[in-house]
Amino acid sequence: MSKDDQRSAGRYILAADAVRRWPAGTVLAVLGSVFALVALSLVLLLAVDQRLVTDVAVRLHDETVPWTLERQRLARNLEELRLGGQRVLTAPDAAARNDALFLVRVLAAHPSMGEDPRTAALAAEVEGFLAQPSAQHPRAVDIKAWEAISARLRLLADDLSVEGGQRVSAELDRMSEAVEQTRYKLVLNLVLVGVFLASALFVLRRYLIQPLQRIHRVLSSLDARGPLPDLSSAPMAEIHAVEEAIVRFHATLRENEEVRLKLERLATTDGLTGLPNRRHFLGQAAEEMARALRYGRPITVGIADLDHFKQVNDRFGHAVGDHVLQRFASLVAETLRQTDRVGRYGGEEFAFIFPETTPAEALRLTGRLRQRLAETPPRLPDGSALPVTVSFGLADATGRDLEGSLAQADVALYQAKGGGRDRCVLASPDSGSAPQP
Amino acid sequence: MNFPRFVVALALLACCLPGLAAEKALRVAVLNHSPPMSYTDEAGVLTGFNVEIMYALCDAMGVKCEPVPVTLERVVDAVAAGEFDFAAVSLLATPERRARVLMSKPYYRSISVWFARPGIAPGEGRAGVVRGGVQARHAQAQGWKAVQFGSHDEIATALLASTVDAALLPMATAVALQQDPRINPLGFAPTLLRDPQLAGDVCLGINPRMPELRARLNDAIDRIKRDGRFDRINSRFIPFRLQ
Repeated sequence: MSKDDQRSAGRYILAADAVRRWPAGTVLAVLGSVFALVALSLVLLLAVDQRLVTDVAVRLHDETVPWTLERQRLARNLEELRLGGQRVLTAPDAAARNDALFLVRVLAAHPSMGEDPRTAALAAEVEGFLAQPSAQHPRAVDIKAWEAISARLRLLADDLSVEGGQRVSAELDRMSEAVEQTRYKLVLNLVLVGVFLASALFVLRRYLIQPLQRIHRVLSSLDARGPLPDLSSAPMAEIHAVEEAIVRFHATLRENEEVRLKLERLATTDGLTGLPNRRHFLGQAAEEMARALRYGRPITVGIADLDHFKQVNDRFGHAVGDHVLQRFASLVAETLRQTDRVGRYGGEEFAFIFPETTPAEALRLTGRLRQRLAETPPRLPDGSALPVTVSFGLADATGRDLEGSLAQADVALYQAKGGGRDRCVLASPDSGSAPQP
Repeated sequence: MNFPRFVVALALLACCLPGLAAEKALRVAVLNHSPPMSYTDEAGVLTGFNVEIMYALCDAMGVKCEPVPVTLERVVDAVAAGEFDFAAVSLLATPERRARVLMSKPYYRSISVWFARPGIAPGEGRAGVVRGGVQARHAQAQGWKAVQFGSHDEIATALLASTVDAALLPMATAVALQQDPRINPLGFAPTLLRDPQLAGDVCLGINPRMPELRARLNDAIDRIKRDGRFDRINSRFIPFRLQ
C-alpha cells in the first residue's frame, strides 16, 4: 500500500467515525412506527367521521323519521279539524252538528294539539268559533270568517307536513357533510400512505440498494494494484461495516501483492547484478525460442564470459569482482535492445538471446558491447581504470532447440577463449565456429 | 364431544328450533265489547284497533299471538301474575300500574270524556264506568255516584235504558258512542275533562318477568309506526289520527 493510499484510507475511516451510524433494523422500525402512528391517527379521524355518520343515521331513524311521521299525523288531524268544522257549519240537524262538534272538541283537546303553540292557538280558535251560538245558524259573514280560519288550518297543515321533510333534509345535509369530510380524509390518508411508501422506498434505495450496488461495483473491480476503491461513507451501520471491511480487505490484498512481487523478484533475479537468474532466463529464452520457431523467424543465442575474472577476484578482492560484474551487467542493460534477453548464467558467465536477429546482427551487437566495455572500463576504488575484456560464443538458434543451441554457443565460447579471449565466436552450423576478432 | 355426535346434535337443533318457535305463541290479553278498540264484529271475529295493532306488532316481531279476551278489571292482575305475556289494552300508564306490570313505550295519548244527558254536568247524576279503568277510579275518588260495568257495551246499553245519566269514557270510546246511530239521536252532550289522572300516555302492559319482550314490543311499535301499518289500522277504526 502506498503512502497516499494509506493516508486516504485513514481519512476515510476517520471521517466515517465522526458520523452517527444507524442500524438498518432500527431505521426500518422507526420508519414503520411513524407510519403506523400516522396511519392509525388518520384511521381514528376517519372513525370519528364514521361515528358521526352513524350517529346521524341513528338519529334519523330513531328520532327524526318518527317525529316527521307525527308531524304528518298532526297535519292530518288539523285537516280532520277543518272537515269537522265544515260539518258543524253545514250540519242538517242538531244531532249531526253535535256529533261534528264533539269530534272538533276531542281533536282540539288532544294533547298532541297542545304541544305546538301554533296548533294549540288555532285549535282553540276553531273550537271557540264553532261553539258560539251563531254557528248553529251561520250567516254569510260567519261563513266568510270560517273560510279565513279554514285557509289558516290548511296552511298550518301544509307547514307541519313539510317540517318533517325539512328536518330530514337538514340531517341528511349534515350526513353528506360528514361523508364529504370522510372522503377528504380518506384521500389525505391515501396521499400520506403514498408519501410514506415513496419515502420508505427512497430510504431503501438511497441508503441500502444504492450502497449495495456501489459495493457490488467496487467488489467486481477490486484490484490489488488499483487505487483504494471510492466508497462514500454510508449512514447505515451494516453498509458502513461492509465498506470498512472492503477497505481492510483491499489493504490486505495490496500487502499480499507486494510480498508476492518481492518474492517473485527474489526468485527470478540475480541479487548482485539485478539481471534475471539462470532459471528465469531459461524460461524467457524458451518462450522466445518457441515464438521464433512458430513464426519461422531468425533467433540467435550467446554466452559471454569475463576474461581472467578469477585473477581480478584474487588480485583486487571480491568487492571489486562484484563491482566488475555489476558494471558489466549495467553496460549490457544499456547497450542491448529492449527485445534482447540476458541472464546471469554462472559466476562470471552471462547468457543472451537475440530474437528476430541473425547471427551476423548478433555479432555486431556483441562486438559493440565489447567495445563499450573497452571504452568504459570499471573503476577501482582509487579511481584508476581496470581494463576488463569479455569473450562471446554465439550460435544460430533458428529452427533449433534451446539446449543444443546453448551447447553450441558454449563450444563457440571455448573456441573464443582458446583463440586468445576478448572476441566473439559464432558457432558454425556443423558445430564448427568462426572466430571474430 | 366428537365430530359425528356434534353434527347430529346440530341437525336435531336445526330441525326442532322452528318447531319450538312455532309452538310458542304469545298469550295476549285483549278486551271485548269495547268498540272501537276491541270488539266482536258481525262475522263473530274479534277485531278493533287494539286487536289489529296486536296482530301487527306480533307480525313485526315475527311471533304468533293468541288473543284472549278478558275484562279490564282483570287485565293488570292477570298480566302481573304472568297469565299473559302482554296486554293489548289501552292502559293509561298510571304509577300504580307501572308498579305492577312492565309498560311499553306509549303508542298514543288519550283523554277522557264526560258523556252525559244534556244538563248533567260532570259529577252529577249516576255515571257509568268500566270496572278497573282509570275513569272508575277517578269517579270513586271524586265521590261521584258511579255504576261499574264489565264493558263499554254494557255502559251503552245502560245509557239507552236510562239506568245511568252519564258515562265517563276514554276519548276513542266516547267518539264511537257519539257516532252510534242508537245513541246519537238522544243528543248526549260530551264534555272533555282536563284532569291529569284521566289523560296521558297509553301503553301495552307486559309480564314483569319478560323485560326482553318489552324491548321487542317497543321496537315493533316503532316499526309499525314507521311502515304505515299503525296509520292504516288507525284509519279503519278511528276518525282521526291517534298520536
